[in-house]
Amino acid sequence: MALDYSDSAPISIRHRDAPMRPDLVLVLSYIVLTAIGLLMIYSATAPGFEARGIDPTRELKEQAIFVVIGFVVFGVISAIDLTEIRGFVTPMYAISIGLLVLVFLVGDSGGGAQRWIDLGFLRFQPSEVAKITAILAIASLLASKEPPLKWMAVARTVMLVALPAGLIFLQPDLGTMLVLAFVGLVLLFTAGATARQLAFLGVAAIIVTVGVFQLNLIKEYQIDRLTAFADPGAHELTLSYNQVQSEIAIGSGGLVGKGLFEGTQTNLQFIPVQSSDFIFTAVGEQFGFIGAAVVIALFTLMIWRLLMISVNAGNRFAQLVTVGIAAMFVFHIFVNIGMTIRIMPVTGLPLPLMSSGGTSFVVMSAALGLAHSAWIRRPPLPGEMRRRT
Amino acid sequence: MNTTMRLSILGLLFAALMGVLLLRLWTMQVTDAQAYEERSLQNQIRVVNTPAPRGDIRDAKGVLLAGTESALAAIVDLALVEDDEIMVLSHSLSAFLDESSADIMELLENPPPDLQVTVAESLTDYQATFLVEHREQFPGVNIIPQPVRVYPEGEVGAHVIGYIGRPDDEDLLRENVEGNSFVGKAGVERSYDDILLGTEGVISYRVDAKRKVLALDSEVAPTAGDSLILTIDSEAQRQFQESLQEGLEQARQLQMQERADALAQKSIPERLAEAREEAEEAAAQEAAAAAEALEDDAGDEGNESSATSPSVDDDDVAPAEPEEVEIDPAEVLASLYPGLPIDSNGVCEPIQRVTAPLGGDAVVSGVEPRFLRLESVAEGEDGELIATVSIGNVKEAVEVNDSFAGTLQVLAITEDSIIVYHRDAWCPVRAVGTLIDPNDGSVIAMGSYPAFDPTVFVDGLSDDQWAHLGTINAFQNFAIQGLYAPASTFKTVPYVLAMEESYYPVDRGLGDKELTDDSDDAEDAEPTILTSHTDEYSCSGEFKFELNDGTVQTKRDWKWPGGHGPLDLHGALQASCDLYFWDIALRLWEERSDDSGIDKENLLQEYAREFGFGTKTGIDLPFERDGLIPDRTWFTSEQAADSPRVRPDGPWVGGDLMDIAVGQGATLSTPLQLANAYAAMVNGGTLWEPYVVDQVVNADGEVVDDHAKTAIRKVEISPTTVRYLKEDLQQVVNNPERGTGTSAFATFGDNVELIGGKTGTGEVISARDAEDFEEVDNAWFVGVAPIDDPDYVIAVVVERGGSGGRVAAPIARQMLQYLINGPDAVTPLVPGQEAD
Repeated sequence: MALDYSDSAPISIRHRDAPMRPDLVLVLSYIVLTAIGLLMIYSATAPGFEARGIDPTRELKEQAIFVVIGFVVFGVISAIDLTEIRGFVTPMYAISIGLLVLVFLVGDSGGGAQRWIDLGFLRFQPSEVAKITAILAIASLLASKEPPLKWMAVARTVMLVALPAGLIFLQPDLGTMLVLAFVGLVLLFTAGATARQLAFLGVAAIIVTVGVFQLNLIKEYQIDRLTAFADPGAHELTLSYNQVQSEIAIGSGGLVGKGLFEGTQTNLQFIPVQSSDFIFTAVGEQFGFIGAAVVIALFTLMIWRLLMISVNAGNRFAQLVTVGIAAMFVFHIFVNIGMTIRIMPVTGLPLPLMSSGGTSFVVMSAALGLAHSAWIRRPPLPGEMRRRT
Repeated sequence: MNTTMRLSILGLLFAALMGVLLLRLWTMQVTDAQAYEERSLQNQIRVVNTPAPRGDIRDAKGVLLAGTESALAAIVDLALVEDDEIMVLSHSLSAFLDESSADIMELLENPPPDLQVTVAESLTDYQATFLVEHREQFPGVNIIPQPVRVYPEGEVGAHVIGYIGRPDDEDLLRENVEGNSFVGKAGVERSYDDILLGTEGVISYRVDAKRKVLALDSEVAPTAGDSLILTIDSEAQRQFQESLQEGLEQARQLQMQERADALAQKSIPERLAEAREEAEEAAAQEAAAAAEALEDDAGDEGNESSATSPSVDDDDVAPAEPEEVEIDPAEVLASLYPGLPIDSNGVCEPIQRVTAPLGGDAVVSGVEPRFLRLESVAEGEDGELIATVSIGNVKEAVEVNDSFAGTLQVLAITEDSIIVYHRDAWCPVRAVGTLIDPNDGSVIAMGSYPAFDPTVFVDGLSDDQWAHLGTINAFQNFAIQGLYAPASTFKTVPYVLAMEESYYPVDRGLGDKELTDDSDDAEDAEPTILTSHTDEYSCSGEFKFELNDGTVQTKRDWKWPGGHGPLDLHGALQASCDLYFWDIALRLWEERSDDSGIDKENLLQEYAREFGFGTKTGIDLPFERDGLIPDRTWFTSEQAADSPRVRPDGPWVGGDLMDIAVGQGATLSTPLQLANAYAAMVNGGTLWEPYVVDQVVNADGEVVDDHAKTAIRKVEISPTTVRYLKEDLQQVVNNPERGTGTSAFATFGDNVELIGGKTGTGEVISARDAEDFEEVDNAWFVGVAPIDDPDYVIAVVVERGGSGGRVAAPIARQMLQYLINGPDAVTPLVPGQEAD
């Protein structure tokens, strides 16, 4: 495999050597997960709407609109060369930072945090957008650096992470902040940071964490969430109620599940915000271990594809962008599912593609679009037929 | 390390994370699936308890004393009420039920775990219909028939029946008790609660996470509790309570009369003396002025002034003979102290509520009525109101609950008034009585006045009424909870001791002779030990005896000065001669360490304890108290613990034993203990365990438990002793010369010769800061009838009532008239003569 570290001569769409074929595995897993997500959203919300005499497909329909938007975004971004996108990284990054600042000025608050901007026809979360722009900015920075990385490059990467992460932390949205930190670390590792640099970052992260706690910058409910996770019995009816109920839902699903629309926990709405953050409980209860394993397998397949795209990427920028996206997916999946089965605290990270929520779906689609674009424009693999021009 | 390797490492890491998720899911969904399954099932079930009807309580003849009726309750099921509807709902209910909306709001905001909130316990038919017809205005309100406790006879037998209430923390630990149940709090309602309670029904519903009901899951109907048949005869009980009430009221009237007499005796001459002093002073001033004038311009005025002075003296001296003043006590009281808070009957209240307005006076009665004036009200640092009051010449700043001026306690302070409780230390507090059958220990009647109607615990009362009933302790059953010095009624114990042990006093021959410094007389009179119960003893009014250290101690008989003259044991009991029994105790004390091998120091106490004194009788009612027969061991341990019940220093002495012999000192007994001891004495020695519940009957009318009479012990007592004792008790009531109860039974009518009894007048150790006044006495009477083969033993005590023969005996007399001669033979209450 000939990888080009020189960051020179981007391969333009006109000069591509490989057949412009989509990654069927990636696209199929994307579509199947989305479909499962829609079904789960419907199963989780319909009984509640029905009981109140509201159209049971209401939330399904809302989500479907975003699914359509997400598919369009995926297709459009797939068609754009990452090299061209790289030219706009700086303004995009700046705009997303601006939006994060704007949240504080005009944002809507919900659930103790200020996260949304209301555009009238839709509300969106700038922090979701910031995940992508941060990945692009970091990838762009590190793509031009040779391994082993210099301390200066590490420092600049940390700055790029810290700026949006800090703003997001203030909203406060601990989960998204941690996503950025994780993605930053993975990108540094991939780009060739030394063991010493990574160790230094680890120590620094610990110091910052301790400092944040010492200065009481963390809101009380965030601490409560973390401690509730450690001792759910003490908060059975309050903080960790969600987690206790979601654990019961998933555990009671058993090996094959209670069947679609037969989940008692789901039908009787024992789990608040089930359709968004706790959508995985609907899978676990209705389809049991087998269903849960299928969903995790689909995600694993998707991540495997993302890593393969990265390995085969035509340039270092595309490679890093794809790794960043893979890291973002992995972190979301692990933290979200981990939360529903009580091995992670409640942080409010959605399950990619499946959780109800417009911004998240569109942003995740965009992220997959970026990776897909990299795949389409990869250099030919051994045995691939060169295209005659 | 190239990039591909780094990506491979990442791939492994990511795969590992997914593996962790799968591993955890496997343990949850495959290994532990069962446990989660069960929890998810529990999640969906909501359990609502339906109260079981309590068992009935009936008297010996089947009269219903406590029963259960069905009433329609309005119960809000909060599972059916949206959060934003609660406010509106509480307002609608407030308007409909005519209750404060804040109260209803508080109920709704603090619901029990099953979310059922009872907002009205018994609706009228109209109210219930309205609520059903206007459901949409009252979301979540259900009309549910609920069992409600009823007490058809009201106050009759209230202290035995007891009352019910909401469970406390301890009750909730019991099986079958839920937060919304009613449990017995006193009386047989409490002691037989497990039998009366029944089993609550259980309805379980399938619910969703917001606990909204989806479907009925299962229903178990409640099981009614078993019923009790009491030994109480409600008609006798009613008569007893009436007699107790009337007796107490009469005792209060007598008390007021005494006070009025005392005031009149004291005040009129004092006022006259004051008037004379004032006149003299005025005359002296005038004389001085005249003298001055005389100096200035000599004139005739000097003569005039000297002529007026003696004439003033003459006018005032004349009527200053108190004995000659004709006294109408009520008139004197009224004229001296206008506004004295005695009620229209001239009866005192042991605890009065007195309200003084800002800047105004309120009269607080006592021996000397005093004026309570509220000077000002200010707000303290902690926001509490502080009132400045003056009583007499003393000004004090007081807060709520403060005690001041000896007998006053602040109940409430508002911006323009103060409410205080005044405790009148001399007013008779209550009349307590118990009537038992000496053949088996069953209780025929028992109670005290003031009493209460148990219905108030179901229907509720105003805060003021609660406070009042609580303050006068109306809810306690003093027949088993009241501890009193049994006084002379206790003399039967040393009497039995004397008869059984042939142990009589030493006639010290002191008579009424004064012990003089050259105590020749005392030495001359040779003490002789009485050897038979018919030997006579000089029952003088005063008992002087030498202590070990040579000092002379004097004890006075209740009949002092005067005394009873020579009496044998029988006469001594009939006349209630203190000396005779003191002397038995003194002899026991003096011979306590002789060689006989019998522990004579505690012999008297042993006899008392044999008859059940100092220990609970074990009656099937809650909160019974032990009483106390003191001895050296008890005295020493109390002293070591700095108890206020004993002297701070000095040893246990013979005087203490002498006090016990006449039922005084630290001796304490409940009225039931005393009645039970008499029952054992007159029935030949069987000490029964008293009881009030005869049978337990289940819902089908079958007797499931029948009380078998239980003897605590058989006291060894010879038939001769029993026969003499009964004769002497009969003489107390029938002997016109010395019987202390004879006067009270003068109006008994037929069959008075069947009656025996013993009076008692016990000194109350009153509050130390009480104002100086005559001693306060508890009045006792224990009656036995028919004396040959007794079926009834009655004990009556009037707290602070005064003389037993005067106040307590007439109450027992009415009751015994009722029992022996029938309800129509009861004659009006007349005070007896003052006797111990």
